[in-house]
Amino acid sequence: MAALITHSPILIIAIPLVAAFLTSLIGMASSRARNTLVIASLVFVAFLVFALARDVVINGIRVYTLGAVSPEQTIPTGFMVPVRIILEVDGMSAFFSIIWAIVSLAAAIYSLSHIASETGQTRFYTLLLLMVAGGFGMMFTGDLFNLFVFLEIASISGGALIAFRTKFADTQEGGFKYIVVSAIAGLMVLFATGILYAQYDSLNIATLAQVIQYTTLDKIALALLLVAFAMKTGMVPLHLWFPDAYSVAPASITGMLVITSHACMYAAFRVCFTLYGRVIDSPVVGWIIIVLGLLTMFVGVTMAVFQKDVMRFMSYHAISQLGYMWVGVGVGLAVLGNSALLATYGRDAMTGGIFHILNHAMYKPLLFFTGGALFHCTGTRDLTKMGGLAHKMKWTTILYIIGTLSISGIPPLNGFSSKILIYESAYQFHPILTVTGIIVSILTLASFTKAFHSAFMGAELPEYEMVKEVPKSMIIGMAILAAGIVFITLFPGQIVDWILHPAADALVNHGAYISSVTGVIP
Amino acid sequence: MTFILESGYAFWNPLIWIIVFVVVMIIVYFFRRQGQKKYKKDTEQVRIFLCGEEVPEAGERHIRVGNIYWGFFETLKDYYNQILRPHTGIINDYILWFVAVTAVSAIILVIAGLLR
Repeated sequence: MAALITHSPILIIAIPLVAAFLTSLIGMASSRARNTLVIASLVFVAFLVFALARDVVINGIRVYTLGAVSPEQTIPTGFMVPVRIILEVDGMSAFFSIIWAIVSLAAAIYSLSHIASETGQTRFYTLLLLMVAGGFGMMFTGDLFNLFVFLEIASISGGALIAFRTKFADTQEGGFKYIVVSAIAGLMVLFATGILYAQYDSLNIATLAQVIQYTTLDKIALALLLVAFAMKTGMVPLHLWFPDAYSVAPASITGMLVITSHACMYAAFRVCFTLYGRVIDSPVVGWIIIVLGLLTMFVGVTMAVFQKDVMRFMSYHAISQLGYMWVGVGVGLAVLGNSALLATYGRDAMTGGIFHILNHAMYKPLLFFTGGALFHCTGTRDLTKMGGLAHKMKWTTILYIIGTLSISGIPPLNGFSSKILIYESAYQFHPILTVTGIIVSILTLASFTKAFHSAFMGAELPEYEMVKEVPKSMIIGMAILAAGIVFITLFPGQIVDWILHPAADALVNHGAYISSVTGVIP
Repeated sequence: MTFILESGYAFWNPLIWIIVFVVVMIIVYFFRRQGQKKYKKDTEQVRIFLCGEEVPEAGERHIRVGNIYWGFFETLKDYYNQILRPHTGIINDYILWFVAVTAVSAIILVIAGLLR
């Protein structure tokens, strides 16, 4: 078991990667064997992720050096700096990897029935597993160039999956937009990496963090990295592509795309808090993030209320909720240089923002899955054509209600726990943040009530007389996420102590991240 | 395992809300049980009564999504006219926004650095 945990950082990336290529081979022989391989590999990866996260919480940061005699040997004999590929897992990476493991497993199970009538299923699962590998790679990598590589893997497979259902014309357009936006973002990340490499002769994040000077070029690189990752998360005003792409993907993939947005958010946090943590002008960058976060919350929700397409409606809500996370972590960043304010409310704001990422990772894919279930049964995403579906789709209705109450922050569901942490701490920073958050929450509930009434309420419509509840695997996929919501609802204190405080502390304590690789405490 | 979340200023216990919810549900169920017991399914009693008027078909009487919150959208018409303008659906416009935000962010960071 100890050896398994030692090698788990690379295994968590390698297993889905190998399984992706095996899937194409096994898929030629048997679809049942292929599906078993996909689910089994994701279950095993989830097990490894939980074991690794537990190890990180107990023993601290785990470093894995590829090609070294011992994985912990980050700097080869005779060298002054790390030159090998290094994976580094701290509380923040472990936190994001747990989310990714749960949602990718739920999405794969959901897909078994959701895409059962589509052609090219083997290619679908190959791309899904590649996307999983890319996501884990982004969360674990310790150097900027591999961050770019894994970002590209996740983005290209994501773009192909959006355009997977070729029978619909809008999927091609959505996939194209996603690929163009991802390519531009990836290119800017590569450009910023080049700027930093040219100055400091290193690609390793820890080494760069130790020597970075915050020159004018560094500031430009920071702007490039931050805005590129912000665009990938759908931050306003860079969100315009987001609903176009997310609304046309298969629902299981949309759920996963939400988490790739979180992975980009993780990358942005890693850049601000770790790479630039020692030198960053934290109040300025913090305020930029807060202002854009507030815009993201408000514009996202007001656009969502306006929508008539169920998946576009969900997409705009995903944008809006991402604003809460930016605001929470932005407040923490803004007071990073002031240890008194950080202790008074900064850490709680960051914990609230990170908590909201966890909650969002449960309820948003669940809501996308319910949207996919509606499309699966009715053949339309248009809410104006729906009605009375609660009579036929009782499980989907119940799961939609759970997701709705959670996203709206209605007590006692988990969305409330994270929002109360953000509201209370952000109020200390500036009351307008809390006021905006509450208004956005009210509008969220109002818009989900509207969608609920349109799709589920009312008398049975004659055109949906033959509609039946979605197949079991789709319900199981949704139920996994609903179970996550219930667990977080019941034990918010444990979640904060076990996962969220270590994650927030990992962001604040960038010295530990640097010294794990370089051996020097900055 | 406790159910309490310390928020720094107060505490939050979901169990209290769940207990309150269950108690309210029991009270609602109690009142419901006091209701009309002569109700018969699949008889004239279940038919909708609309002041003696003919009741429209299910599809016609369902309030569709386009009709909900009409007043809200009418009041915020100017806001929506403005906010819908950048949503062109054209990828070139989307990238222009990216270029603009990157440029503004870089300028802010550089100027803030000079003033520090």
